Amino acid sequence: MSMESSILWLIPFLPAFGALINGITGRWLRKTKIVDCVALGSVGISFLLSVFFFIWLLALEPSQRVVTQSLWVWFDLGGANVLGGLSQNVMEWAYRADTLSIAMALLVSGAGFLIHLFSTGYMSEERSDGRYYRFMAYMNLFMFSMLNLVLGNNIMMMFLGWEGVGLCSYLLIGFYFDKDFAAIAGKKAFVVNRVGDFGFLIGFFLLFMIFGSVDYNTMMGLTRDVLAQSEITLFGVTCAATWWFNLVGICLFIGACGKSAQIPLYVWLPDAMAGPTPVSALIHAATMVTSGLYMVCRMNFIYVNAETALAVILAVGALTAFVSATMGLAQYDIKKVLAYSTVSQLGFMFMGMGAGAFSAGLFHVFTHAFFKAALFLGAGAVIVACHHEQDMRNMGGLRKYMPITFISMGVATLAICGIFPFSGYFSKDDILWKVFEGWYNHGHYDGPMLNLTAWILGMLGAFCTAFYMTRLMVMTFWGDFRGAGDDPHGLRAPAAAQHNAHDGHDGHDGHDAHDAHSHHGHGHHSHGHGQHAHGHHAQADNHHGHSQHDARGYDGYSSHGAHGEHPDRNEHHEQHEQHDSHGPREVSWNMWLPVAILAGLALIGGFLNVPHSLHFLGDSHFSDWLHPLMFQREAAHGANHAVPAIEYLLQIFAVLWALMAIFLAWWIYKMDPAWSKAKAFVAMFPGLYRWVHNKYFVDEFYDLVIVNPCKRLSAQLWAFDAWVVDGMVNGAARFSVLAGRFTFWIDLRIVDGLVNAAAWILQQIALFFRAIQSGRVQHYAFVMFLGFLTFAFWRFLV
Amino acid sequence: MPMIPWFNNLPLWVTAVPLLGALALLFVPKAKRRVFELGALAIALLDFILCVPLWFQYDRSTAAVQWVTQMDWIPSIGVKFSIGMDGISLVLFLLTTFIGAIAVWCSFTAITERFKEFYIWLLVMQFTMLGVFICQDMFLFYLFWEIMLVPMYFLIAIWGGPQKLYAAIKLFLYTLAGGVLMLVGILAIYFLQYKTTGTYDLSIASFHNMAGAISQQTQAFQVLLCLSFFLGFAIKVPMFPFHTWLPDAHVQAPTAGSVILAGILLKMGTYGFVRFLLPIFPDILPTLMPWFLTLTIIGVVYGALVAMIQKDMKKLVAYSSVSHLGLCMLGLFALNPNGIMGGMFQMINHGISTSGLFLIVGIVYERRHVRMIADFGGLSKNMPIYATVFMIMTMSSIGLPGLNGFIGEFAILQGAFQAKPWWAVVATSGIILGAAYMLWLYQRVMFGKLDDINANMKDLNAREIAYFAPLVLACFWIGLRPAPIMKVLEKPIENLVMQINPDFYKGQDLEQIKADAAQLGIGAMEAPEREDDVEVPIQYPYQQDEDEIGEAPQTQEESLDDDGEAGSGGR
Repeated sequence: MSMESSILWLIPFLPAFGALINGITGRWLRKTKIVDCVALGSVGISFLLSVFFFIWLLALEPSQRVVTQSLWVWFDLGGANVLGGLSQNVMEWAYRADTLSIAMALLVSGAGFLIHLFSTGYMSEERSDGRYYRFMAYMNLFMFSMLNLVLGNNIMMMFLGWEGVGLCSYLLIGFYFDKDFAAIAGKKAFVVNRVGDFGFLIGFFLLFMIFGSVDYNTMMGLTRDVLAQSEITLFGVTCAATWWFNLVGICLFIGACGKSAQIPLYVWLPDAMAGPTPVSALIHAATMVTSGLYMVCRMNFIYVNAETALAVILAVGALTAFVSATMGLAQYDIKKVLAYSTVSQLGFMFMGMGAGAFSAGLFHVFTHAFFKAALFLGAGAVIVACHHEQDMRNMGGLRKYMPITFISMGVATLAICGIFPFSGYFSKDDILWKVFEGWYNHGHYDGPMLNLTAWILGMLGAFCTAFYMTRLMVMTFWGDFRGAGDDPHGLRAPAAAQHNAHDGHDGHDGHDAHDAHSHHGHGHHSHGHGQHAHGHHAQADNHHGHSQHDARGYDGYSSHGAHGEHPDRNEHHEQHEQHDSHGPREVSWNMWLPVAILAGLALIGGFLNVPHSLHFLGDSHFSDWLHPLMFQREAAHGANHAVPAIEYLLQIFAVLWALMAIFLAWWIYKMDPAWSKAKAFVAMFPGLYRWVHNKYFVDEFYDLVIVNPCKRLSAQLWAFDAWVVDGMVNGAARFSVLAGRFTFWIDLRIVDGLVNAAAWILQQIALFFRAIQSGRVQHYAFVMFLGFLTFAFWRFLV
Repeated sequence: MPMIPWFNNLPLWVTAVPLLGALALLFVPKAKRRVFELGALAIALLDFILCVPLWFQYDRSTAAVQWVTQMDWIPSIGVKFSIGMDGISLVLFLLTTFIGAIAVWCSFTAITERFKEFYIWLLVMQFTMLGVFICQDMFLFYLFWEIMLVPMYFLIAIWGGPQKLYAAIKLFLYTLAGGVLMLVGILAIYFLQYKTTGTYDLSIASFHNMAGAISQQTQAFQVLLCLSFFLGFAIKVPMFPFHTWLPDAHVQAPTAGSVILAGILLKMGTYGFVRFLLPIFPDILPTLMPWFLTLTIIGVVYGALVAMIQKDMKKLVAYSSVSHLGLCMLGLFALNPNGIMGGMFQMINHGISTSGLFLIVGIVYERRHVRMIADFGGLSKNMPIYATVFMIMTMSSIGLPGLNGFIGEFAILQGAFQAKPWWAVVATSGIILGAAYMLWLYQRVMFGKLDDINANMKDLNAREIAYFAPLVLACFWIGLRPAPIMKVLEKPIENLVMQINPDFYKGQDLEQIKADAAQLGIGAMEAPEREDDVEVPIQYPYQQDEDEIGEAPQTQEESLDDDGEAGSGGR
């Protein structure tokens, strides 16, 4: 172990120390900047170390680009592999920097740093109470877990990170734990992920059975030997090696479905938006949700040999990409739109992996991290600027007030829509082409129909994506600000109660309604007038307004939050004359800067991996970088054949297709300020709208089919336990008591009775004789006389 | 390694210290509350500290029983006073002294009346439990096993909740019933032993050696004999459907009682399986295994489902114990090293995290004297330290990697998957439910709105932090660095698997495999230590007589045994 590699452990551990320091000392330091320094510093140094390792690996030969460091033996379990013999399998607490993991580490720590920076602004309202340091500690803990996940040297380490990010996600979604919907959403995320982990663990055990080890190097080394076996017998079942690989692949993919929010386990992600917006950006867009993708990519030596598993991934990915994109069409909560968009984009990534193009799928992870983090952070800035309003119907016209945020989000939107030359174009188009290529099959057009279907779904999904993103931008940034003042077109979100009724079902989706009037437990709607719907918040608002004002304002908007209630202070405000004094304004530098940087990456990031067909624009650096770790199939998709004309055709078509969607949304929402076309459409197909708006009632379906039966079963078993199982024990006790009583009765009446009866009989006899024995001589004489008479009578007369 | 002269008797001292301490406390006047509290704590801590050298002195390279002390007791019926420990006993022994000290410490404010009796019974309890883990003689074992009920009975019946008498009597009678059935089994083997060998010997080793003779008997006899032991242990574990004494006992017991009950008492049952049932009945096990496994798996899922809808926090934790111990049994019934290793870890982990959870319930109960989940909410806000500890224990209980619970669960499921994949798949679903009910509990107690009554509750004080700290440290230590514990357990478990499932090692050359592994670079860090192992050749029992299996690891004891025989002049 060289000197350099001995600091590898610091990359994940620095944030862990940060979390520990802030978690322990934060209570006392919560009002100082030390909390920020620790949180940002630890992640920042991690990022710099990642850069260092990246440069170091860059200097090595491509085939040598692996650095490992073992810290200690975690535990060891004996195992057997199918090649014969037990193997001593030691799970080491070890890290591994190779091309894949260091790329992920760069992304995680880099995006993580920017989002930490953003959080210092976004969460600044929490400084006054004990929440801020806790938030920072959780975020750092998340970084530790996530870096463990990507840098771990075996699946065990990956699983450690896997569950760790799940825990942090749980803690951060439920960060505003006094809100029931947040606490419930956190729990839901954890439990749904556990369902996925079920599959992951089974896959894990199967791997353990096959390889006798879960160390990446050992497994990769043994793959060829295992495949060379004509058949493998496990648990008395004999099958071809690839059959087992398929099984492993599918089991592991179930885990990925949970973590990366694919059908049927995506339901937790939209609810996870209950967490603070930086959390949504970091965990639920840029990093954690991509860990499923990372896992598939890391296990590509399994997947290249598992055709069926790849087909399953392709199918699930395509379906998710399309279905969740349609769900995004009818959402009004800005974060919900982005959440469905994330689910959809993750589907795209899985499509790429399912088509066997692992690096194309992973590249979309990167570009998506740039533009989606930018969008989420931008949305966070918008939400802050609108005083924690999340409903897009109450926004509008923000372009004028927040130019930097607007431009950054605009760039990110063009990227996600796939407009050339923004980054999303390169990554998404590459994926779609790889999927299409499977069917195209070198000009024969006879590949699997699945590929063609997936491609069509993908194109439709891309269309929906461009549509709802344009809708989001238009509703947020164009038109007039609807947050306060007049509402000539009646566009503003209905009041909470109406909103619920409007949703058509009130019980389950309660938190949806909550989102509509935005609850973060602090500073709601500080603007004082117009919002009759929020009248019931007035008291709380007042309180918050004061407390914020008293607290030292960390950035511009924090003190701004207070001014709604204090018209007399308005004159101190520079923006007073510019517009309605309660209107939104640009956020502070520590919030717009990260958004701008991410948007910049979203703008140029695509050139990191230019497809071969566009080689005159650049090289496919990203794919080449990952190449040493990618197994056979990837090469088949490589650059060793001529570019067919259809690829160019599709590339042009894809851009036109996205532009059509953008124009359609523009036409409906921008060129018609009252949105009458959208309303007419809803009126025409109320049923369809209701289904889409309510996300096809999937949550309700799960409640009906899984959650409620499970609860019912619990109740029944509990009754069974109380009445039957415990009843038998108590019954046995009662029976013993009864038996005792009965025995006692027998004892009393029969056993003792017999004794007493004997005595009684004797007594009666005695009584009789006692009566005779009176002691009077006359009686005796009389009896003697009677006796004599009897005797005489009997003797002489008979 | 250098042996301190009195060291060989150290386990005996550790066992005796609580009893001696209890005797000493008898002479303290009743009113001196502080003396009892601090005295009992000092005794318990001393006991734990005395245990620590055992951990370092234990010879990990052999499965032999160590620190053997043996003398004749009732020679005419073959009863010896015989104690000693192998790795399996050692870890549970350590756990007992560890949890014992915490149980004393947590009672300072909870117990407000009759504290003299309380601390004396607590110490007596610890003595009997240590006795069970240390004894090497069936008679002694049975003695400790039954005496143990007496202090527990009083702990619940005097200092318990509203239905304390019902719970105490239920616990006593239920487990006594199982114990008596086991006694019948013990006697049956005892007489069978005389019939086959002509001697009376109650040592555990000789009972293990009876495995061969028992397998010669009719199947019906074997099944009945096995069931008599099974019932005795299954009630103690408790396995479904013998579990109903547990929720009642837990709910009614004082916090210390629950801690001891969950932390150690339940381990008696699982220990019984490891020590007696599995090695004595290896031949009939395959016949009965489907039944045992069915009960086990039902226990895992059933316990979790029933826990989910409990309204009483203590009851919820009690039912979670049913589920967790079901998992432990699944590991033991996998009959392979990983499964049994996992089962052993699950015993330790359950002892730590469930004790922790009962302490957590105890904290809020002490403050508010209610235990219903609905009475709480939003406590995270005013009790941040409590919230952190609760979260760590919750995560440990649901098996988050990096904490202790995961190691056990993982090894169990891995072992079970190796042996019986479908059973493992079903059991894994119990783990999903585990997350559901624990997080739901946490959500309802710690999250949500904080009302005025709860807002008045104080966060943990220094004493409470002091007794939670070792538990939290143990959670992390076992979670991050379980390898040393595995090392202690490795040989005894290997030996056990050779007794009960010799087919597992069939055709495998352990030494070769370890050499291969070392060559691969995996486990290179542990390689130097392994060289010792090479000296002890692994014997494959299926190739040899039954007798040799049991005897082989007990050379140390035999030499002492000879002395004993000479002294008593033979029978």
